[in-house]
Amino acid sequence: MPKRLIARARKIVASKSAGLVLLAGFAAGFIGLSLFGTSMIYTGTEQFCAQNCHEMANNNTREYKDTIHDKNRTGVRATCADCHVPHAPVPLYIAKFGALNDLWSHHVTHAVDTPEKFDAQRGHMAERIWTYMKGNDSRECRHCHNEAKMDPEKQSDIAKARHIKAKKEKLTCVDCHYGIAHKVPDGPGPQELEVDKAFISRSAIF
Amino acid sequence: MSKIVDRFRKWKSGPGTIGLLIVGVIFGLVVFFSGGSFMVYANSEKFCATSCHEMGFLAEEHKGTIHDTNRTGYRATCNDCHVPHGYVPNYFAKFALFNDYWGHYVTGSIDTKEKFEAKRYELAKKVWVYMKGNDSRECRHCHTTAKMDPDKQTTKAKARHEKLRTENLTCVDCHFGIAHTEPSGPGPQELNLADPAGK
Repeated sequence: MPKRLIARARKIVASKSAGLVLLAGFAAGFIGLSLFGTSMIYTGTEQFCAQNCHEMANNNTREYKDTIHDKNRTGVRATCADCHVPHAPVPLYIAKFGALNDLWSHHVTHAVDTPEKFDAQRGHMAERIWTYMKGNDSRECRHCHNEAKMDPEKQSDIAKARHIKAKKEKLTCVDCHYGIAHKVPDGPGPQELEVDKAFISRSAIF
Repeated sequence: MSKIVDRFRKWKSGPGTIGLLIVGVIFGLVVFFSGGSFMVYANSEKFCATSCHEMGFLAEEHKGTIHDTNRTGYRATCNDCHVPHGYVPNYFAKFALFNDYWGHYVTGSIDTKEKFEAKRYELAKKVWVYMKGNDSRECRHCHTTAKMDPDKQTTKAKARHEKLRTENLTCVDCHFGIAHTEPSGPGPQELNLADPAGK
């Protein structure tokens, strides 16, 4: 089949002028990449992540509503993709393949299709996110929250003191700021988690 | 020019021409990729604020303002407020760079601090007219009105935000001079949009 396809393509190409072939190739490459880019942007929107997906809409999205990253004094928000996928282009594209896992569990295993099942898995899922965030020093938090540009004078006295302490203790954002956008599961928090070295190197890339 | 087009048309294909299709695809990918990367780079703080001599004045003023340093470290840099965020409008806005080149290399219109200060009001007015004209679209790209929590705002802010909705005001009508030094002269609320030149 592929051999016959190639033969057909060769035949079509041979009947056209070489210039036209070059132009067609250029258009295909240009439009192809722009479609790819557009789909990457679309799959990072709140509409796609929070509303299109049954599992997300029924659980994570509802919990996220009215938290500080959704509604606040200034109306500047952080949505799903801001916290949960890498922002560098290539790691982002690789992260998108994680959606295949979601499709698998939605259509085949039905792992979290009811709120009860979701709650039963909550601890396990939260642990995975915490491990990921600890492993890359809360990179996705820091994509928006620029530590060097924080004004300690505008923070509460407790926050100011704790931030100084956290630096000494080599803690990362998620060690304290967890359960801020979704419900906190029972069990140990991020500070009690042992982060597997192999996971650190993996999440540093992806 | 027509000669080149003619030669391009008469360029005969042969059995190896399918290779040209692949060359074309690669060329298309490279052009789109480098164009897109340039657009991203041209929106960065490094490009806008520090590469350009004239913008240096403005970048200096932005330092320490609420959009640069604040409680959470969440910032807005040049392009967040000053260029459209829709793709095509963004690309068009990039062509305004030519005006900046012209001003820098030919007319030298704001190449010293004194010349810049002399033109400050005129420049500020241009930005105000632009922002009033599109209902502070660039502000609203980050600040979602529907997601503001009035109870977290000061009582004064809360009351004023309610009032302005009945008065048909937009963000920049009150929030001006917040990232750059405010020029003397009438502010955005006094500007007549129907006659932006203010004659």
